[in-house]
Amino acid sequence: MIEADGITKRYGDFVAVDGVSFTAEAGEVVGFLGPNGAGKTTTMRILTGFLPATDGTARIAGHDIFGDPLAARRAVGYLPETPPLYPEMDVTGYLTYVAKIKDVPRGQRKAAVESATERCGLADVHRRVIGSLSKGFRQRVGIAQAIVHDPKVLILDEPTVGLDPIQIREIRHLIAELADPEKAAHTIVLSTHILAEVEAICRRVIMVHEGKKVLDKSLAELTEGGESLEDMFARIILREKEEAA
Amino acid sequence: MRHVGAIAGRELRSLFVSPVAYAVLTMFAVLAGFFFLLSVQGFREAINYYQQIGQIEALRELNLNNQLIGPFIQVMWIVFLFLIPGITMGLFATEKTNGTEELLMTSPVTMWELVIGKYLAAAAFVTLLIAMMAFFPSLLFLDGDTPILGLIFGGFDLADPDPEGLQTLAGLLGLWLLGLTYAAVGTFASSVTRNQLVAFFLALALLLVLWLLSVVADLGVAEGAGGTTSSLSAVLTWLSTSDHFDKLARGLVDTRDLAYFGFMIGAFLISTKTSVESVRWR
Repeated sequence: MIEADGITKRYGDFVAVDGVSFTAEAGEVVGFLGPNGAGKTTTMRILTGFLPATDGTARIAGHDIFGDPLAARRAVGYLPETPPLYPEMDVTGYLTYVAKIKDVPRGQRKAAVESATERCGLADVHRRVIGSLSKGFRQRVGIAQAIVHDPKVLILDEPTVGLDPIQIREIRHLIAELADPEKAAHTIVLSTHILAEVEAICRRVIMVHEGKKVLDKSLAELTEGGESLEDMFARIILREKEEAA
Repeated sequence: MRHVGAIAGRELRSLFVSPVAYAVLTMFAVLAGFFFLLSVQGFREAINYYQQIGQIEALRELNLNNQLIGPFIQVMWIVFLFLIPGITMGLFATEKTNGTEELLMTSPVTMWELVIGKYLAAAAFVTLLIAMMAFFPSLLFLDGDTPILGLIFGGFDLADPDPEGLQTLAGLLGLWLLGLTYAAVGTFASSVTRNQLVAFFLALALLLVLWLLSVVADLGVAEGAGGTTSSLSAVLTWLSTSDHFDKLARGLVDTRDLAYFGFMIGAFLISTKTSVESVRWR
């Protein structure tokens, strides 16, 4: 579903992302880990077509993100770090607009909006103006806009940041459901700082540090040795720092 | 181009749930009414003046189009100068502050669909303003003894008391084209910043420069003596909106002036597209 091939992003002399390659299959949930400034957001922005890569490319559901950008974008749902919301619109109006610009055919739009509203638990607030919603609901509207066109690939940048524990649990439940091979079987890439989150929902972990991929393993492999994810994260990042010093 | 409607429609709806649209509409209605009354007053004074000096011939030559409607349309540019940047300032700037830029740029929407959709929303608003202000000159087309006609003529016979419909429409067309050009400049200004206030003042500055280019050209002619200055001043005069607009406002439709407005709108929309795209290259 996702085939990233040597993605590199340079800003002048600074290398934000340095030759990151990975693949993710249908129904897979990949946790994107790394310290702040490791290049997680930049990589995600390249995969979604927001930024061009300096080098390398990726295919989303078989469409090259630079060769056939519109088809690739149709296959991606993206939740940026800040949910992209218009505060003055109501939830249904907003989701209908997103469905339009994401090329959901006219006849299916109403059903698509209703389904996304239902799955994200927004049925009770669908007539409310987004600006009046709580942060947890806004985050859900952000996820709803990412899934409204039923994309094959979902890219979520810190989907649970700033939420309370109950909301976090709900969002995690929703993500697990979206990846369920019996139901939607979305391929999901999500970035996070919360290691417990990775253990709870991801089947694979990709760790990036200073723009490079430093680890790519399934969760089962990682937890085999009995070492906690937190210790492992610290060990890898600190080792890199020592080597650099 | 199938996303243009969705983008323009959303923009217009957002405009009308915000107080900005209503503030602009109210100010526009008040200012248009005020300037229309001033124009009527000016016309009355012309009648009084010719009457006092006994120029009965000149009095009879007074014409509603040239002495009232034309000046009214000409003075309305200054209202557009301040109000249209207020309408366009949020077009792209708010997408950046909302973070919705990331939604638009990761959707299967082309840059042209985005720019044209935004511009059409502003253009629709300009068209609404023109329709509103057309109300005032249309009062002069009423037949019979209406209060407004009584106020203007005060019992005097003009050689040509009826206003010319086509000349009035040509003037409104000129103001509409001026408004559409201002909307294109404002759209561009909104695309280069994330701050609405900056977008407003940048648009205002660009529009003032465009207007004053012909004044600069006139100064250049006064100082210079060689042929080079005059060709430069010809270019500046052509680039300036004022001469093209003045001709149309007086009712003179010249395809060269129409082409000028088309050229300016195109140039600023192309600049907008480049500016929006540049986010990707930073």
